[in-house]
Order: sequence, then C-alpha cells, then structure tokens
Amino acid sequence: MPNITDVTGLAGVACATAAAVLLLPGIGKLTRLRLALLQGAVFALMLVPFGAMPFAAYLRGMTGDLSVTTLVLLCCAMLRPWCGAVQSRHRLALLSLITLAALGLYPMALGVGAHDPYHLGYGNLLFVAALLLLALAAWFRGLSLITLCIALATLAWTVGWYESDNLWDYLIDPFAAIYSLAAIMIYFVKTLLKWQRCRSC
Amino acid sequence: MTHYGHQKNTHRLLLALVVVAFAAGFYKVAHHPGAASFQMPATLQKSGSAQTDSSLPEFHTDFVSTQQNISTHAASLVELGNGRIRAFWFSGSREGAPDVVIRSAVFDPEKASWSPERSIVNRADTERALLRYVKKIGNPVAQRAPDGKLWLYYVTVSLGGWAGSSITAITSTDDGATWGPARRLITSPLINISTLIKGTPFLYSDGTMGLPVYHEFIGKFGELLRIDGRGEIINKQRLSSGKSTLQPVIMITSPQQALVLMRRSGNSPKRVISTATGDAGQHWSTPTPTALANPDAALSGVVLPDGRMLVVLNNIEDGRDALSLVVSTDGGASWKTVYQLEDQRGQPTDPVRFGKISAGLAKASDASISDASGYAQSAQRNKCIAQHCDYEFSYPYLIQTRNGDFDLVYTWNRSFIKHVRFNRAWLDQRMEKSNDAEHH
Repeated sequence: MPNITDVTGLAGVACATAAAVLLLPGIGKLTRLRLALLQGAVFALMLVPFGAMPFAAYLRGMTGDLSVTTLVLLCCAMLRPWCGAVQSRHRLALLSLITLAALGLYPMALGVGAHDPYHLGYGNLLFVAALLLLALAAWFRGLSLITLCIALATLAWTVGWYESDNLWDYLIDPFAAIYSLAAIMIYFVKTLLKWQRCRSC
Repeated sequence: MTHYGHQKNTHRLLLALVVVAFAAGFYKVAHHPGAASFQMPATLQKSGSAQTDSSLPEFHTDFVSTQQNISTHAASLVELGNGRIRAFWFSGSREGAPDVVIRSAVFDPEKASWSPERSIVNRADTERALLRYVKKIGNPVAQRAPDGKLWLYYVTVSLGGWAGSSITAITSTDDGATWGPARRLITSPLINISTLIKGTPFLYSDGTMGLPVYHEFIGKFGELLRIDGRGEIINKQRLSSGKSTLQPVIMITSPQQALVLMRRSGNSPKRVISTATGDAGQHWSTPTPTALANPDAALSGVVLPDGRMLVVLNNIEDGRDALSLVVSTDGGASWKTVYQLEDQRGQPTDPVRFGKISAGLAKASDASISDASGYAQSAQRNKCIAQHCDYEFSYPYLIQTRNGDFDLVYTWNRSFIKHVRFNRAWLDQRMEKSNDAEHH
C-alpha cells in the first residue's frame, strides 16, 4: 500500500505528462472532449505499473515532486481550451515572482555565500509571515494567480501533501524556475523589439 | 449573477482560502520544536565513573565482512540496546554498481566475534518502496533513537553520480533484525539532489536526532540536519560554505559546545577544517584549517568523558596508505599521534608484492585467518591497475560504547571492513608511551 505522499507525488508527475500532450503537433485540431479524453488516458497510463513501478515513478526519480505552483500553471494550461487563457498581467506577475525567488534561492542553496535560504522553509515564523503579506498584497492588487499559488502551497505544506517538510518545495521547483526565467526573457526581448519598431515608425 | 458579481465572489473565496491556509500554517509553525541543547553521549554523562576500565589494556582486531572478490566500502557502527554493536557497509561488484547492497553484522563483545553478515537493503527494494527510479545506493549510517528505534540512513542516486545523492531512511524496532519500508528525506530544493552522509549522528536533549550531512554538487560544504522521532526534518543548518569541505564529524564537548571536523576537498591547505559552536549549533564559527593533515579523505572521532578528543584519520597529505589514531587534550588546538593503525607508505606497489604484503596484513589483522590468499586476491582486484597497486585504509568510523570501550571500523583495501576494538586502559597506555617518546 503506497503512502499518500507517494500517490500525490506520482499524480503530480502524471499531471505534468498529461499537460505535455498540449505540445504535440496538430493537437489544436482535436475537439475539447477528445483532448480531455486523451489527456485523461495519458494521466491514467502514467500510473499503470510497468515492471515493478508505474511509468510516473521512473520520471519521478529524476524530477522529484512538482511544486504546487507548477501544478497550478499546468492546470491553467490544461483548462485553457475550456476556460480561456489566464490574463497576461496575472501570468507575468507570477512568473516574475518565481524568477526572483529562484534567483534568490538556488544559487545560495548551491553554495554561493554562507547563508542558505532553504532552511527558512522548515517552519520559520518570519518566512510564513512574509508569505502571508505577499499573498495579501497580491490579493489587494488583484493578482489572483499569485495569491492562489501561495495559499495552496501553504495549505499543502501544512497538511503534508508531499514527502517534503520544507515549504519552499511546495512554492517552487527548478522546472517552474526555468520556465519562468525563459518566459520573462522572451517577454523582455519581445517588448524591446516592439519598442524599437515603434521608435523607427 | 453578473460577471462583476461572479468576479467579486471569486475574489472573496480567494481571501477565505488565504485565511484558512495561513491559519493552518501558523498553527504548524507554533507546534514546531524549538532550539535544543546537545545530549551528552551516555558514556560522557556518567563522567567516567561508568567506565568498566579493566586495568588490563585490551586491543583486538578482526574483519567484519567476509565476502571476497567484491568491492566493499563505507562502514559504520551503532551500539544496540543489549550492548552489542551492529555494523553496516555497502558492497557489490564495484562502487555504484546496480548490484550494490547494504550489509550488516552484529558484534558480541562477550564472545568477541561477529555474526554472519547479511544483506538488509538493495537498490530494487528501495526503488519499490520509494516509488521512484533509483540507480545506486551507498554510505549507510545508523542511529538509535531514545525510543529504541534504530534508524538507518543511506544515500540513493537517481540522476548522475554521487553528487546527485539523496538520503533515504529505514527503521527497525528490533535492533536491526527486521526493517520497515524506505522513506525519502527531502533536504535540497534542486530536485532533492546532493545531500550525502558519513559522520556519526547524535541526539539533542529533546530526543530529536542530529545528522551531519554534506553537499557536493557545484559547491562542497557541510550541513547539519535535525530530525524528529517521526523522521521529519525540523531544521537544516550550514556548517561551512564554498567548494572545499565535506563529511562533517560533530565532536560534542558539552550541552552547548561542539567542534566540527571536516574533510578538506581541494588544494592547499591539505588540512582538516574545523568550525565550532558555543550555543548548541545556533551559530558556527568561520571554518579554519587545523594542524591535522588531510588527503581529501574521511575521518571520524569521539570525545572522551575527560574532554580528550580521539580522532582516526589519514593524517597525511597524499594517499590513503596510512591510518592514524590521534588525540587532542586541548579541545582540538593540537594533536598527537598515539597509534599508527596502518602504515604502508613506501611499500612496493607491484601486484605480486602488493598481494604478498596484503596477505600478511590480513593474517596479522585477524587471528582466525589461516589462508589469506583470498584477501590478497580481493585487494589486488580492487586496488591494482595494470602494474601499480595502491594501499587503502580509509573511511574510519569510531564510536565509544556505553561501557567506555572503543570500536572502530574502516575500509581495508576496498575489499573488506576491518574492526579494531580497544579500551581506555590501552589508550592511556599508548598516550603514556607517546609522552615518554616525546620526552626522550
């Protein structure tokens, strides 16, 4: 009987694989129902044991458990055909925040400097308080996606959704960080090109 | 309902979610264990009076592992509830191979003999229990919790080399006869890679466990994990930073004070690096080189009831062909070699003579060995490349048992685990001899 944290971890990886279906060529031609069925089938297939373990377990060995933020972004992508795209302002604000957090966390966790911000995730009062302020600030500004990610991540950490006892692992993972960094850079390049075009016209 | 009204409701729901999430979050933080002092080891608590201190010096050596022609490494020890000693190590066709298993045997001090060794963990079982791909396993280190539960921590790698390690734990409620399923410790934000173990775990005064660990992906530095009785990580601290320190060993001298000794990985100075705390690990001093030489190799040590520090290490700048027992009587400021456990510096390194010398060393190490040819062949298999062989005596792990005796295990030519047992009378005798030699 697997632990609940294994089930949640594997489900997260299976969810990511189901979302990756959206990247397949010609997928846009499918009806919404067929797309949902295909994604559902991929999700289920990932959890079917292959050899000693499900497919998802092989991937999980290399990816670890995906953060709540990554799952929210994946859900946004999967629900897009049904609910439409997330407002660009919300998405951009979240990706900027992830990029900032990643730049603060990962280099230091790898040994840059003597301080390790990762230790704050093991139940540090000030860290949780700072997150609350950030969630409230985002809520007042109407940046719902940020508020949703922080609140869900905190709730998941509190109930022990994953194996990790560290709040950082619920907030961010390297995949969200790389995606955000790339998206922000693309956005800036596009904005710069647009600005240059406008200047020349 | 209008679109505006719907949006307003969603907005309110989101605030409710924030309130619930953070109420739960603050509740969890409020129940988080606070700072705790170090628990003094049982031998130290009794302040020396519990020492059996048989007036006769005792020194005994033997081999723990028996399998020949395999690669064997990274032994550790833990004292069980009944005073017996359980050893753990890993062995397989080669270090990091998929067939590597963690093996164990129990030493009975009354009979002065080891039980037959047996496999307790393998890669496939770990993979199934963790529900994730595992490429290789290694470095077992054990701790007995205050409730009597035995915790065995070992590293698992899913991605890359040893630098990609994570820590996995299994527990036993019958001192290692049977073991529960594996669980993963999450200790790093980068897909949980690069946390390794080697140093001896210890206890805090509130019963939580301290596990010295280290990171070696890009940076190389020592860290300290604090783990509760359920195996949940309470805190993680950094003992050093940069790219040159590994495998911390915690030497607890009082409930508030400890000295950490670390393997130096990198160029000059080829010295053991130390850091200290005066507030039970809340803060650590800037790491500094000690007088002890270090060829980028692991060390181990204990603190005696009278404050003396006893360390086993390769006290040389290059190679692992000499292993020394050194003592400090001034809190780690200066060190003196009291016994040379192994020394093959300058010995012939061609396979034939290496084999002969290894056979002789094996016989001298264990009186029960009548035919040492298997030991010589195993050493040649693991330590000879073409016409050159290297002697290796490394990865020491030293403990002091509750009755005051000392047990040491280390890797013998990557082929066997050697065990050395001695008492305080022997140590005192060695110290007197080294003092006499100094005065003459």
